[in-house]
Amino acid sequence: MSNLREELKAQIIEQLNLEDLTPSDIVNDGPLFGDEGLGLDSIDALEFIVLLDTHYGIKVPDPNAAREIFHSVESLASYIEKTKA
Amino acid sequence: MKLVAHSFINASGLYVNGTRQIDLTGEENFLKKAYSELNIDYSKFHKMDNLSKLAFLATELMNEVVSFPAEGEGMQLIFANQSSSKQTDMRFIDSYANQGSPSPSLFVYTLPNIVTGELCIRHKWYGENTFFIQPAFQSAQFIEQAELAFSKGNTQCLCAWVDAKWQGNEECFLFLIDHSEGLLKPTELLEIYKSYTHE
Amino acid sequence: MSIYITGYGVISSIGNNVDELFTSLKAKKTGIRQGEKAFTTRYKVGEIAFSDAELHDHFQLKTEGSRTALLGMIAAKEAFVGHELRSDIRTGLISGTSVGGMDVSEREYANYLNNTTHNLQAYGHHSSGTSSAQIAQELGVTDFVNTISTACSSAANAIMMGARMIQKGWLDRVIVGGTDSLTSFTISGFRSLMIFDEEWCRPFDETRKGLNLGEGAGFIVLESAKSMEKTGKQPIGRLSGWSNASDAYHQTASSPDGEGAILSMQQALDVAQLSPESIDYVNAHGTATPNNDLSESKAFLHIFKGKVPPFSSTKAFTGHTLAASGGIEAVISLLSIQHGMLFPNLNHTQVIAETGLQPVTEVISNVKVNHVLSNSFGFGGNNSTIIISAV
Repeated sequence: MSNLREELKAQIIEQLNLEDLTPSDIVNDGPLFGDEGLGLDSIDALEFIVLLDTHYGIKVPDPNAAREIFHSVESLASYIEKTKA
Repeated sequence: MKLVAHSFINASGLYVNGTRQIDLTGEENFLKKAYSELNIDYSKFHKMDNLSKLAFLATELMNEVVSFPAEGEGMQLIFANQSSSKQTDMRFIDSYANQGSPSPSLFVYTLPNIVTGELCIRHKWYGENTFFIQPAFQSAQFIEQAELAFSKGNTQCLCAWVDAKWQGNEECFLFLIDHSEGLLKPTELLEIYKSYTHE
Repeated sequence: MSIYITGYGVISSIGNNVDELFTSLKAKKTGIRQGEKAFTTRYKVGEIAFSDAELHDHFQLKTEGSRTALLGMIAAKEAFVGHELRSDIRTGLISGTSVGGMDVSEREYANYLNNTTHNLQAYGHHSSGTSSAQIAQELGVTDFVNTISTACSSAANAIMMGARMIQKGWLDRVIVGGTDSLTSFTISGFRSLMIFDEEWCRPFDETRKGLNLGEGAGFIVLESAKSMEKTGKQPIGRLSGWSNASDAYHQTASSPDGEGAILSMQQALDVAQLSPESIDYVNAHGTATPNNDLSESKAFLHIFKGKVPPFSSTKAFTGHTLAASGGIEAVISLLSIQHGMLFPNLNHTQVIAETGLQPVTEVISNVKVNHVLSNSFGFGGNNSTIIISAV
């Protein structure tokens, strides 16, 4: 279970080119978007779509509808677990 | 016109008005180190490309000794470099040519003027900004452009030569000029730039 | 001090020169088709049919250059027809481009990887500045050459800079505009942002999905009254207003209320000393992305206080030609003034519900067009507006 979350953190850092960060800088249920979180925005939402497709074979058709899924590492992980189950 | 302040950053350190404030020699990621040394809380920094990071840090550092006008009122941004956004261009090409999928977060940085855009976002500046591509640092051109800016009523120009050719060859020379009395000579500006780069 | 326009030139997917562009506009004929190059075939694009070699031969160019440079030479030369270089008129060239000679580098690098050729010299074309130098060389312009790279507002900013240099007395005459060719780089980039419409783009339409890219170049010649006394050229229009402002919002997206767009339109009106009511036609940036068109519409409502003049985006004709768009659209603005015509916003069926703004959808003739406002908004929140007026 938590392996997926750690794996996601590493993938997020790589996919979003956040080279300055380490997985430990990302909190499981902390917000990824907005200034309160990692400062991610709509462009990064597109990166999540690429990430889910390339690493998990999940296709998210509409970036706007996916905001809730992309809220945190936790919500991303739950979505992956639910979809792959 | 008068030179108000200048700052400089490269792998050797962060400098303001000719004095090194922070030594960065030997740092593996000198930009990250500079960010943490400056005690800034701006999470968007980590997403920027090196070109934007350089200008961002040089501007933050200058902001410690001068205050910029609110909303950048009367301030024009005049930026230039030789290699445009080449470093990020290469990484973006790699994303679609070798990694299979073009990366949007890289693509947004494949234009040099995103640098000035980032500074405008950070400081809420709404004035004019432009980015020139030139063969080398041309102090006379900056002064000409500043003169144009002042003749249409601006009072300050924030100028920068910011270049990131490849990993390890990155620099930003940032300088603020205002329209008050004084004759800023291109040679003077060039000497300051050279004193930073030890050319 | 008035800045006169004494020449114009253009090449795009709707024509190789100003006459052909005008004919296509009147016939509502788009240049956007399914792409024919390896990297464009997935999309609808405003591609110019000539290969680089064909461009070189057909337009009898003397100078070698990237596709971006060749397109620039063709449009700049047309703009400069009837002009001549002379030592008592300081003449400059300011060109905007976003990709420069990247088309050459892409091709050569692929060849290198396939071991077909290894031509290091080809990369000499890569730099954005080189394309301007090549255009200047073709024209023989040496007094002043400069390159602006501020994404999709590059040509508008080049026009603005040229006007200021004439005002300041640093140049007497200057060829200004922009050029960009289609490259795999830009196609991949816009693909990554998911803002392509795989169908024909529909600017200012409720159902718009995104943009179609295009390639081309557009240049105009700016001249002072003093210079015209010497050259005897007659002006075809006047550049009366210009401005650039920052949106200070996001790297690529426009602010929801079009703050930067409002600033740039207002400041251009101020420079032109015109009230918003005096604008007869607006050539919008209108890329057909959901974000731009809504934001620009809101800015229109604000600037024109609800009474928005006839407006259209001509990008459904040419595709979005990026750094060239401000130059091409300056030429279209001049045609509107010269012929008293408004050009349609193609593919429009349904107004944007939130703003209710109806663009011009047919060719409208016999109207008096004194002042045209043309917007060019670039990534980086780099927003520019120019105003072209009848003489």
